[in-house]
Amino acid sequence: MQELDALKQRIVEALPGLDCVIGWEPGPSPLTAAPLFMRTPADVDRLVWGPFNAPNTAVYLPAFKGRKVGVVVKGCDSRSVVELIQEKLVRREELVVFAMPCRGVADASKVAGRVGDLGQVSAAARDGATLQVTTPEGMAAMPWDEACADKCLNCQYPNALVSDHFLGDPLAPAQGRDAAADEMGRFEAMAPAERMAWWAQAMDRCIRCYACRNACPMCVCRDHCIAQTRDPHWVSQEDGVREKLMFQAIHALHLAGRCTECGECQRACPVDIPILALRRKLNRVVKDVFDYQAGVDPQAVPPLFTFQVEEAKINERGW
Amino acid sequence: MTSLPNPYLPDMATIVETVQETPNIKTFRVRLDSEARRKAFTFQPGQVGQLSVFGTGESTFVINSPPTRMDYLQFSVMRAGEVTAALHRLNAGDRIGVRAPLGNWFPYESMKGKDIVFIGGGIGMAPLRTLLLFMLDNRKDYGRIRLLYGARSPEDMAFKAELPEWLGRDDLETVLTIDREAPGWEHRVGLIPNVLREMAPPAGNAVAVTCGPPIMIKFTLQALKDLGFADGQIVTTLEKRMKCGVGLCGRCNIGEKYVCVDGPVFTYEQLKELPNEL
Amino acid sequence: MDQAKFLPDASLAAWLAELSAARLVLAPRREGGAVVFKPYDPAVPLELTRDATVPPKGAVFPACEELMRYRRVKDPEKPGQPLLEVEESLPEGGVVVFGSRPCGARGFTVYDRVFDAGGLNDPYYAARRKATAFVTLACREAGSACFCHWVGSGPADPDGSDVLLTQVPGGYVVRAVTEKGAALVGSGLFSPADRREGEEAAAHAKARESLDDPRDLAPARQALLDAFDDMEFWSQLSAKCLSCGACTYLCPTCYCFNITDEAQGNEGARLRTWDNCMSFQFTLEASGHNPRPTKAHRLKNRVGHKFSYYPGLHGGAIACCGCGRCIRSCPVGVDIRQLVLAAVERAREKSHD
Repeated sequence: MQELDALKQRIVEALPGLDCVIGWEPGPSPLTAAPLFMRTPADVDRLVWGPFNAPNTAVYLPAFKGRKVGVVVKGCDSRSVVELIQEKLVRREELVVFAMPCRGVADASKVAGRVGDLGQVSAAARDGATLQVTTPEGMAAMPWDEACADKCLNCQYPNALVSDHFLGDPLAPAQGRDAAADEMGRFEAMAPAERMAWWAQAMDRCIRCYACRNACPMCVCRDHCIAQTRDPHWVSQEDGVREKLMFQAIHALHLAGRCTECGECQRACPVDIPILALRRKLNRVVKDVFDYQAGVDPQAVPPLFTFQVEEAKINERGW
Repeated sequence: MTSLPNPYLPDMATIVETVQETPNIKTFRVRLDSEARRKAFTFQPGQVGQLSVFGTGESTFVINSPPTRMDYLQFSVMRAGEVTAALHRLNAGDRIGVRAPLGNWFPYESMKGKDIVFIGGGIGMAPLRTLLLFMLDNRKDYGRIRLLYGARSPEDMAFKAELPEWLGRDDLETVLTIDREAPGWEHRVGLIPNVLREMAPPAGNAVAVTCGPPIMIKFTLQALKDLGFADGQIVTTLEKRMKCGVGLCGRCNIGEKYVCVDGPVFTYEQLKELPNEL
Repeated sequence: MDQAKFLPDASLAAWLAELSAARLVLAPRREGGAVVFKPYDPAVPLELTRDATVPPKGAVFPACEELMRYRRVKDPEKPGQPLLEVEESLPEGGVVVFGSRPCGARGFTVYDRVFDAGGLNDPYYAARRKATAFVTLACREAGSACFCHWVGSGPADPDGSDVLLTQVPGGYVVRAVTEKGAALVGSGLFSPADRREGEEAAAHAKARESLDDPRDLAPARQALLDAFDDMEFWSQLSAKCLSCGACTYLCPTCYCFNITDEAQGNEGARLRTWDNCMSFQFTLEASGHNPRPTKAHRLKNRVGHKFSYYPGLHGGAIACCGCGRCIRSCPVGVDIRQLVLAAVERAREKSHD
């Protein structure tokens, strides 16, 4: 792959001025790629770009604040980078952003729904509009549209929104189904009690590992999360649905107007709870009220970071 | 299956007396409510206990009264977190839970016949107090006993009520020090390691027992080494975050050793064998 | 133990009904894309084709359990100083864990050495352990993250199980491993296994063959100690780690816990909950000092505990059952096999220096 080789070359050239460059290498099993921290040209040789590069590399950036670091991004990852810049959690001048046009990433959970135990998958590759997965039963082919992450179906930002090195020809936005809208529609069609029961049932299997929180690039409290503090004591250590849902509600509210919908919370969830829906819901509210989308304009001020005396859609004085 | 007692279940106890030692250290004298438990209760100097404020939680403190004085168990608590703040709100007559004794103790048997040098800084004086009083109660078993106790300022000095007695005893050489000059202070001024060097206790037949904040320990160990103390002649006690107190919950380990059961007392020789994770 | 028996596929539901009559049966089912143990419900299909995402450790070591309850009651003598009543909350009732894999059941042998041995008896653990039986299903095939054979186990390991089931054409060969297990397979639903024992052996051999060549992890004990002060090594290995708790909470052998009080007015409970050594708060002291301040320190302790400290304290036994859940469910592909092997390799290189 010519573009990837060119990208590697650019990274090798940039390495001497950088702490490291964050990208991906093949993960412990097919269908996965793992974040790679490149410090030497030999590390750069391991870099991959393809349909399994799901992890959002932006999650690591705030920890490097104060040091110059490189990062390889997909279009959606770049939105997180933009939001981090907007929130001053990273400094643009300390980042060197590398990117290529992204054709989408696979959703392991969807593939598992099709082929069963991912532990038995010995190989996986994308061939155009098909994902081919090898299992002990043989090769299974599934349409890419049914294997990719929901966000990729109608991805509006396949090319990084911020980059210093962009290799390859930019892609047009995807024209597929808006899976997020479908999901919202399903939830909104439920009566409140039915919706609550649905979430209670889903959250029951939550193990409170907080992979959702730690995988979130916009989660800024890090080691000082309300999930563990006793002052304030908003959630206890009891393992009931009430506590689990309370944490999700707090997390979602903290992300209102900040979440770039990268979906890492849901991808990281080991028990496959569709928690991205909660963040999407709040983003829709923010879009509705402030006509704002997170992580697309480095110059924009996130609406909940500021206020206007007269907000167009908040009728405070008319109450 | 054996029917060992539930290791998590505290004894109920009543605070019989409190002493506000310093602005942030408060001493609690505690009696177990059950007469049978009180009679059966034994411990060794250096062992610790978990104090419970129900609804808030448990924290670990050394029993700083000696086993030779069993009218009450004494704990001195520096206010630092949630449980210690809750303890500080309690007074005589209030009830708490006590899980004790836990952990190991000072090797006082092998210290018999030797000179003893106590070096305590701040709240680190608490574990030394139990051994000091134990030795004073068995005075003939030990050689010269020196005590160097330092605090930041006169008002940070705990156990004030006992200091005149300690200073006045013929069989105990007490040196008090504070970090900086203060009006009315009649004792030494200077950091503990420096004062220790000036005191220059002979290492020959001595054991040094030290406890205090990490930075003080670091320089005190250096001073002791310079004075000729071998690693095996230095005893200290460690502190870690603990929950269970019985070697299970996984947070106080340093490599294979669990501070709650293998400690808190270690010789410097033993400490050096442990991985570096204090 | 007893002779091997045979249970036809058609009788499985009847056996589960029989087991459910006397006690709670936990069985794996699919929820979303995950497989979790839930109380058996004949209306919900079992998921036995793959290992559960969440191991059955909650059966013996719940994510949250009450250790004791307390209540403040008015003391008529001294109205301002309430009396304290504390009552321990010991667990009751028996459980059968049905359909776990050998690794999930074997995890408790790691707990046993710590929680119910050597003069220490954790009464909560001991009561549940005694009241829980494991009906385990031998694995037919290794998965890519499986390494049970590296840690002294295997796909048909009965260690920690009470009954071992092996799928054969038409049903299951059933072996009682313990007395507790023998009591579960006494009904008329079972017939002698006879010739099916050969099929059972073949299934075990086939599963064994699907595993890669095991690596010797014994040198890890010293190698991890040697690497203790090499923080550069640990920083690199932990760079991608998110420091979340997916690995620890899904681990059948991770037993670190927290104890917290939850108050409601004048009463409340002291709880024991799963805790996570990868969390910053785990070792944070009230003074603000933290002996394991970075994820590199914490990952070092996690790997060290399993492959060095625990073996050092328990005759070389490794505190890992090789189930691979930490690898499969890690959002960023941290592979504990690579971490241990990296430490062994580091020691080997140093010894050549």
